[in-house]
Amino acid sequence: MTGERPFELVLLELVLLVLLGPLVTGIIQKLKARLQCRQGAGILQPYRDLAKLLRKGTVQADTASGFFHSIPVLVLAATVAAGALVPVLRAGAPAFALGDALMLLGLLALARFLTAVGAFDAGGAFGGMGASREMTIAPLVEPVLMMVVFSTAIAAGTTELGALAAHRGTSWIFAWRAADFLGFAAMLVLLPAETGRIPVDNPDTHLELTMLHEGMLLEHSGPGLGCMLLASHTRQIVTLALVATLFFPIAADGALAVDLLLGAGAFAAKILVLAIFLALVESSYAKLRLFRVPQYLGIGFVCAFTALALRIL
Amino acid sequence: MDVYWSPNLIAACYAAGALSALLARWSGRLALTVGHLAALAGAIAGIGVALDVLLGEPGRTLTQPLPDLFPFAQLTLAVDGLSAFFVLVISIVAVAAAIYGPAYLRAHTPNAGPTRQAAQAFALNLFLGCMVFVCCAGDALSFLLCWEGMTLASYVLVVSDDRDGENARAGLLYMVMTHGGTALLLVAFLCLTERAGSFDFAGLRAAAAELDATTRTTLFFLALGGFATKAGVIPLHVWLPRAHPAAPSHVSALMSGVMLKVAIYGILRFGFDLLAPVAGPLPASWGWTVLVAGTISAVLGVLYALQQHDLKRLLAFHSVENIGIILIGVGLAMILWRRDDTGGVLATVALTAALLHTVNHAAFKGLLFLGAGSVLCRTHVRNMEELGGLARRMPWTAGLFLLGAVAISALPPLNGFVSEWLTFQALLGGAGRLHGPAGLVIVFSAAMLALTGGLAATCFAKAFGVTFLGRARTPHAEHATEAPTAMLVGMVWLAVLCVGLGVAPGYAMRLLDAPTAGLLQGPGASAVVTAHGPLVLSTAPTPGATAISMTMVAALLIALMAVAWVLRRGWRHSPVRSAPTWTCGMRPTARFDYTATAFAKPLRLVFAALYRPRRAVSRETAGTAYVLSRIHYAGEVVDLSETQIYHRVQRGITVLARTIRLRSTGRIHGYIGFVLGALFLALLLFGVGQK
Repeated sequence: MTGERPFELVLLELVLLVLLGPLVTGIIQKLKARLQCRQGAGILQPYRDLAKLLRKGTVQADTASGFFHSIPVLVLAATVAAGALVPVLRAGAPAFALGDALMLLGLLALARFLTAVGAFDAGGAFGGMGASREMTIAPLVEPVLMMVVFSTAIAAGTTELGALAAHRGTSWIFAWRAADFLGFAAMLVLLPAETGRIPVDNPDTHLELTMLHEGMLLEHSGPGLGCMLLASHTRQIVTLALVATLFFPIAADGALAVDLLLGAGAFAAKILVLAIFLALVESSYAKLRLFRVPQYLGIGFVCAFTALALRIL
Repeated sequence: MDVYWSPNLIAACYAAGALSALLARWSGRLALTVGHLAALAGAIAGIGVALDVLLGEPGRTLTQPLPDLFPFAQLTLAVDGLSAFFVLVISIVAVAAAIYGPAYLRAHTPNAGPTRQAAQAFALNLFLGCMVFVCCAGDALSFLLCWEGMTLASYVLVVSDDRDGENARAGLLYMVMTHGGTALLLVAFLCLTERAGSFDFAGLRAAAAELDATTRTTLFFLALGGFATKAGVIPLHVWLPRAHPAAPSHVSALMSGVMLKVAIYGILRFGFDLLAPVAGPLPASWGWTVLVAGTISAVLGVLYALQQHDLKRLLAFHSVENIGIILIGVGLAMILWRRDDTGGVLATVALTAALLHTVNHAAFKGLLFLGAGSVLCRTHVRNMEELGGLARRMPWTAGLFLLGAVAISALPPLNGFVSEWLTFQALLGGAGRLHGPAGLVIVFSAAMLALTGGLAATCFAKAFGVTFLGRARTPHAEHATEAPTAMLVGMVWLAVLCVGLGVAPGYAMRLLDAPTAGLLQGPGASAVVTAHGPLVLSTAPTPGATAISMTMVAALLIALMAVAWVLRRGWRHSPVRSAPTWTCGMRPTARFDYTATAFAKPLRLVFAALYRPRRAVSRETAGTAYVLSRIHYAGEVVDLSETQIYHRVQRGITVLARTIRLRSTGRIHGYIGFVLGALFLALLLFGVGQK
């Protein structure tokens, strides 16, 4: 272990990710609004929503059990813990063993599993419907995502994300090989699915025919809903950071404050580019029918598998 | 040799337990209690013996001759690292089952007669004893005797629960299938013993060293077929989802959690020990067959589990899946073993992953079956569509079941994740080592393992959500109460293991040293996996290898949960108001709860090619077509191996039997002709063989 990232840096990165998560959502919403010739809410709107929810009281379904109350806590903790595993400001393995890409995907899966379990508790049909759809898409996304991770991990010989980023170095797109392009294409296909956006899911809707993730949040309210929303924002920025780590590694690797600032700037630029991509896709496509989604994910599977085959053969 | 912990002690405890069945003359309840207490003592003795061998000096084998029962063979016990590890796994679950059993049987079948109770006490002890001694056997004869005893005792337990026809059919199928498997084992063993001239494993090993490649591979596949039948590898699994749910729940926990592992023990014993060549890697076909069979079992097992609505049957299908995951590790270890130095380390990682998943699966599957048993004994319903809302009535059972569900879905920070992480790392390392198509197959297997994990999470979100959350769907579920304390204690024991093996798996690696180092004659598990200290898991002893720390992640999760808890309370700390769920303006009833069938429907359609779903909906209308008075829905999915293989074989046998019946005229000289013809044919065949 090289230990380029001390504990304080990992903690700083974690706090940064959680704080910036809602901002990314705000930017995407604003961009979408502008693309649709609307004024749209300000980019700070998600923060205002969170602050409002945290001030409110809680209304809980009378059928809900004791689990329901702790679901938001567990989901938020699992999602934020996943955030501790992606390098933000600097590449390189952390100074202490924590987790790797598989752990990150595992923690996100844990958050999703708990959300789905919580959706059952209110005893309404919408929660179960949302959980059913989300848990149908998730197992199809997960193997493809893992194959994309493997396609870069096999070249680097490790699944530790910081080490992966360090191995790739600052080689920009010019040093990419065919496998990288295919892996990136697969990742772009998966990105809307993993962040719950069109064409797989629609975050703006509360119509029962189209809800996936939102359906599971319907019965949460007040601070609990605030936690769930914060978890969604964090999940989105963590996924974007994962893409950035795997395909556009971190810019600076010095230890000075300037380098860290440079790293932060590079990170912001990368996240912004990916956010613009998401906004563009969301504004230019319609949501797919649920049973077309597996075919859509099939494109990702083929790309990822070809990328892996090119790496191994 | 330590005199206190010897296999005699285990045998004595289980024998006493079996004999306690005689107490049923006076009181069936007494027989049950004493029988289970003896089983508990036997299990503790088993843990003692296993730990004694595993933590003792490396490479030690505890051997002990048995009394001369047969003139032609000396029976011995030989407990080496591998045996001790499996004895440990068996004993761990046996402890839980022995604590859980009496309370469960009393609550589930309060009207059972003393005969049945005596049979259950006798068969449980015989079952446990035979499982332990299959793993401890030092010669082919005691192996086969215990193997058969294990099958017969578990058959008695399978048919002991209810007297209905379905249980009897499940038991019959179980008997037929496992005896088919045992026949294959018998052939493999007899071929070896004939060459060796003796029954003990040392002799067999020496005889196997002289085998040519074809015979060696044939014998391995015979043994693999036999063990795979017992392990429930697809397509030999058809008996498993029927027989396991039929048994009393603590016996289901033993059958699923442990008995299948005895077959894994057999595969390891044959593959790496008895039949392995003296030097050089194993034949390539062995490892690849095991790997591919494991992958298919894992994916299909979880896919079929997803469409089950019987709680115990769902769990039984998950055993097929988890055996598949174990076999992926075993197969990979077989492929990589003795290839070169890196391959050796990777083989150790793969075998460690397989063995760790063996004990992990025993812990969480045992926990889940016991949880399902608690539900069953309080509601007498196995169909989860008729349950619901149990979390408020049985909070302990629900919490423990949820813990098991998280563990089996391979989610951090529990133990299922640890062994799957190791399996992934071994697969990834293997793919990096073996370039070309072989590497691609391994990576594909890794992708399928990821799919399996995701589908397992879906399946358990369904199982837990539908059974324990929402509203009670029937009066059975409405009037449920929490399970008796003894049952909860049994479950807590396994839950503690799930958490412990998940949060601090490094300490368990010490126990895996003896089996891995003994089998692979290479570095032990802890030298590779915990080279950077017991709190860190790594894939190679070299610096720069991937390393994770489950302990750190668990600590991080707890810290973040504390922060999230503060957020969750909000700024106002206003009390929680309770209100009915919005059901579009109608009165909320249990009919609004999402059903298990509906939950699994999207995946049923996505994988329709595998499931071949069928459904029949009949509507009764009242007067006009727009007013429905009744609607009846029936849906089912088929098990492809059942329809494509077993039904065809069955049809073939029927056709054959019909043809024979036409020829069977009842005239005696016709039959004499047949016998003569058969004799002539046999002489011809064997005469050719002799030359």
